[in-house]
Amino acid sequence: MTVTLEHYLVVSAALFCLGLLGVVLRRTLLVMYMSLELMLNAANLALVAFSRFNNNLNGQVMVFFIITVAAAEVAVGLALIVALYRKRQTAHVEDLTSMKL
Amino acid sequence: MLTALILLPLVTALLIAFIPRDLRFGIRLVALAATFVNLVLGLILFLRFNTGEAGYQFVENIPWVSALGINYHVGVDGVNIGLILMGVVVAFAAACVSWEIKSHEKEFYILLLVMTGGILGAFASLDLFFFYFFHELALVPTFIMIGVWGRGEDKNYATFKITLYLSAGALIALVGLIALYLQLPANARTFDVVTLTNHFAANPMSANAQQFIFPLLLFGFGILVSLWPFHTWAPLGYGAAPTATAMLHAGVLKKFGLYGLIRIALPMMPEGAKHWLGVLALLCLGNILYCGWVAMRQRDLNLLIGNSSVAHMGFAFLGIASLTLIGVTGTVLVMVAHGFLAALTFALSGYLYHQTGTLQMDEMGGLLRKLPFIGAAMVMAMLAGCGLPGFANFAGEVLVLFGTWKAVALPHPVWLVTAAAWGALIIGAVYMIRAIRNILHGPLPAKWTAVTDAGLLTKVPYALLLAALLVFGCFPRLLTDKIKPSVEPLVKMAAGPVEKPAAKGVAAIHP
Amino acid sequence: MTSLPWIILFLPLLAAAGITLFTLKNRRLSARLSISAGVIAFILSCVTFLHFRGETAPVESFVSWLSVGSLQIDFGVRLDPLSLLMLLIVTGVGGAIHIYSYGYMSEDRDFSRYFACLSLFTFSMLGIVLATNFIQMFICWELVGVSSYLLIGFWYERPAAADACKKAFLTNRLGDFGFMLGIILLWATLGTLNFRELAGKLAAHPQALGTLATLAGLLIFCGAMGKSAQFPLHVWLPDAMEGPTPVSALIHAATMVAAGVYMLCRVFFLFSAVPDAPAWLPWLQGLSAQGVIAWIGGFTALLAALIAVQQNDIKRILAYSTLSQLGYMVMAVGLSGPTPAMYHLSTHAFFKALLFLGAGAVIISLHHEQDIWKMGGLRQKMPATYWTFLLAGLALCGVPPFSGFFSKDEILAIAAAQNNVGLFVLAVFVAFLTTFYMTRLFLVAFAGAPRSESASHAHEAPRVMKWPLILLAVPSVLAGFWGINRFLDRQFAPGHTPRAGLWLDEVFAPFAHAPLAAMLGLLAVAFGLSFAWALYANAPADPLPAKLGALARGMRNRFYFDEVYEFLIRLTHDAVARLADWLDRWIVAGLAVRGTHGTIELMGRALRLLQTGNLQTYALLFALGVVVVLFFMLK
Repeated sequence: MTVTLEHYLVVSAALFCLGLLGVVLRRTLLVMYMSLELMLNAANLALVAFSRFNNNLNGQVMVFFIITVAAAEVAVGLALIVALYRKRQTAHVEDLTSMKL
Repeated sequence: MLTALILLPLVTALLIAFIPRDLRFGIRLVALAATFVNLVLGLILFLRFNTGEAGYQFVENIPWVSALGINYHVGVDGVNIGLILMGVVVAFAAACVSWEIKSHEKEFYILLLVMTGGILGAFASLDLFFFYFFHELALVPTFIMIGVWGRGEDKNYATFKITLYLSAGALIALVGLIALYLQLPANARTFDVVTLTNHFAANPMSANAQQFIFPLLLFGFGILVSLWPFHTWAPLGYGAAPTATAMLHAGVLKKFGLYGLIRIALPMMPEGAKHWLGVLALLCLGNILYCGWVAMRQRDLNLLIGNSSVAHMGFAFLGIASLTLIGVTGTVLVMVAHGFLAALTFALSGYLYHQTGTLQMDEMGGLLRKLPFIGAAMVMAMLAGCGLPGFANFAGEVLVLFGTWKAVALPHPVWLVTAAAWGALIIGAVYMIRAIRNILHGPLPAKWTAVTDAGLLTKVPYALLLAALLVFGCFPRLLTDKIKPSVEPLVKMAAGPVEKPAAKGVAAIHP
Repeated sequence: MTSLPWIILFLPLLAAAGITLFTLKNRRLSARLSISAGVIAFILSCVTFLHFRGETAPVESFVSWLSVGSLQIDFGVRLDPLSLLMLLIVTGVGGAIHIYSYGYMSEDRDFSRYFACLSLFTFSMLGIVLATNFIQMFICWELVGVSSYLLIGFWYERPAAADACKKAFLTNRLGDFGFMLGIILLWATLGTLNFRELAGKLAAHPQALGTLATLAGLLIFCGAMGKSAQFPLHVWLPDAMEGPTPVSALIHAATMVAAGVYMLCRVFFLFSAVPDAPAWLPWLQGLSAQGVIAWIGGFTALLAALIAVQQNDIKRILAYSTLSQLGYMVMAVGLSGPTPAMYHLSTHAFFKALLFLGAGAVIISLHHEQDIWKMGGLRQKMPATYWTFLLAGLALCGVPPFSGFFSKDEILAIAAAQNNVGLFVLAVFVAFLTTFYMTRLFLVAFAGAPRSESASHAHEAPRVMKWPLILLAVPSVLAGFWGINRFLDRQFAPGHTPRAGLWLDEVFAPFAHAPLAAMLGLLAVAFGLSFAWALYANAPADPLPAKLGALARGMRNRFYFDEVYEFLIRLTHDAVARLADWLDRWIVAGLAVRGTHGTIELMGRALRLLQTGNLQTYALLFALGVVVVLFFMLK
């Protein structure tokens, strides 16, 4: 069986959904963050697949940008999580509701 | 001179902002002097007015934003000259009566003067933008005055209710006004009332547009004038307000909506008017009858006066609904007369509250012995309120009743409407006379032996308002001769040609 | 010369304004201002009368008060026989009562206020008399009502007086409801409010009012019902006795209550319109306004006379007597007899005022005692009062040759002439009752022996009170010979040739003119006198309650009208007011306004549930939102 674009897209979608579920259902901030990364990588996979199958290099260039931005975002985000943990002594997202109306 | 009239209170307010807070007497004196000078200016304006002319006099027109068609355009004609006179008289009386305010006088007088300036500007304005602007300028001080210096346990609720309600009404009216503005062709758009009136006289709006815009203006302005069923803000608001605010609002600012209807809605949208008149007539019967009955059940004097004030506004609406020269002239006269009356009654109830600390009529009694002047003034005010001849209200109400009978386009039987309106004056007599019975007549309870009557200077505002009511009651032609020529073209635009006067009969000997 | 009536009209107003603004503190000056205004008005009225009585057409003079479109309202003066006569009566009786009041009210602390109100009343009453058009009459009508309110409630610290003046004003207002509607109807159909023009139009076209003729007449009559206290609006008059006695004499006997009758005579031309009723008021068909008026007048006369038979307060008896005589006058108008009505009004003004003033003298002399069963034996102690009261009483009963006989006889005659058997019999019966209760009053209160301590220490009235009594006694006795009816005929029956003859012929004229009416009238007087004499001469207590039982109790309690009215008002009007208040509080303010407020607050609360502060909820919602958008985009 030939591996076509659809296979890659399905995998990408599956990864995205797994990441989304992780963000919505997991209680620990760090694991939520990892799921977020999973969603980003799913998008990366889709982009590369499109680029490969449509013979357009723009997709892969965009992936480079995304990886860079993701790395920067992880750095900042982890720093924020550590600061938050130091302040609140908890990394459970259910305890962080000071924006509740 | 008209601009001087409008600017004087505003400039004085600015001046007072610079006077140190502790110079209480100085602040009061400055405010009193400013309103007095305004009164004199208003009187001069009234006396110099050319009776019998239909157009605008004392006109001042300064272009401002020509791209949008906004000019500073002010002028007086028969319809608003009476209102302006009433405004300056009531403003002076309100300034006199404010002697009872004992805290933050500086802010109070600034707000009072800003409100006065706004009111006068609104009535004199011949440009829709400034018309609306001045009204809002007068509304904001109302909110603050009732909120800070108000009385009663419902004060906060009343403050928010009156402000939100009036803002909602003004908003609806604004939508209507802007819709009116947009009816003009794109290159000739202006807010100028004179231009708009002439334009729509020559090219009437489509029936659809009229039937859409007229109710916006009717209900928008109507809410501002406590049209039934949008009236519950009035008694509550005036009950909680300090005396001067109640006088200025119930007396003067309330007439803004009626003035807007007469000046703008009626002549520019005759088709829309005829379509909605039936509804208006029913609603104003609601005002007159329903609020009269509600007033009968009130135990609190201010609530009684507030409901009675709403009932009087029903008369004014009825005159408009009749679309006759007699009826609309009557409306303008009722507006002026009611202004004086409402100011007088609220001033008197303020005095009573100040002396007795209560406004519950059951707790008062027998006060006429202790308060000969205030009591007599109150009796006269109550009698004027139920339409006693000799006071200006009677003349206006007679005109409205007769005008309604000749109504042009009412879908209901006119005799029923007229009978109901006149019957409401009987209801008015019931609660007014009962109020006198409860407050002034009867034996004097021991707790009121310390009550004192008004001193010579304190009498001034009451005497002034009473004199105004009596003068215009005995000589209504002072007003109607000015009102009639200006109302005639408006009614003609709204309803068609004006009826001819009946031929006078046999010659008689004149004195 | 035409400025004279203007001066007469405005002099009392100037006095009232002057007293109110300047001389309230100075008692004597206020009284003098008011009394001089009253007396000068009388003198000027005499001059006006002498000058204008020969005129064949009414003389009018006016200024425009309000003029808008087809509504022209003037303020003016109109001089014709009717107004000239009434002018004399109002200023004459008024002047006498002004002088009397100087003595009666001398102890009162509100002396000045009394005279200010009295002058205001005089001005208003003269305004009604001299009015040229309906609205001017209405304006002065209301002002008279207010003056009455101020004077009945003069002693406002007394709850009874405060309630009485409230009742009077409101009952009058109720009558004015119909009055104003009638005026508007007339203006709308005939286009004018001026009496002369209205009369002219109706004379030219009697059908001009069309189907509204009866209705207009009845509505106008409503005003007279209120002012002249006809059934069913009669309840205020007896309560009005709470006011000072001179006020009762002037306002509630001689002038104000007569204003209703005066008005009916003034607009008598209305009733000459062909009676007709609109199709949607079938029960009005076949009725004429005059018929209704006559029966209401007759019924009032009967009702009031019955009640008077069992009253024990001297002023109440006189009040009900006034009601009864007013009923007579209204009945006369209803029987197309404006001349007899006005004739009786004139004579009644004199002797009723005299009766009240005499009663006032007795009350003062007995230290404010008003119960007739505590009076008695006043002949030696108060001779002037005694004899003048007797003369006035005889005039009221209709004993020849006093004035009341002639005027009452004319009313009886016109009932007979109209072949109205019912009303004729009623009128004769009421004449019997009148004599009965007046004799009862006189025998108990004046004759016989003193019944109480204060009665035995009575003394004559001071001069300033005595002389008006004597002055008023003169016309009470002699007015029958002054040709008032001939003078009135010039207004109402211009074609009528005056009956010439000697002075002595006057006395026997009624017998020649309408023998049945005169004889039956005399018989009624004789019966009434003898019955009352039998029951009350030297009686220690009232024998009637024992004899009549429940009927007597009903009479004494005024046939429970006040109670029934109060019940009806509570049932209808108060209920409506309560309903409106409930609606206002709970529906409009509650449901609508607070409801809007509540709804918006509820919406806010609902939306708030979305703002959990929880990051994951937000993320979920975000994802759901994306799904929804994608769904709609890809559809």
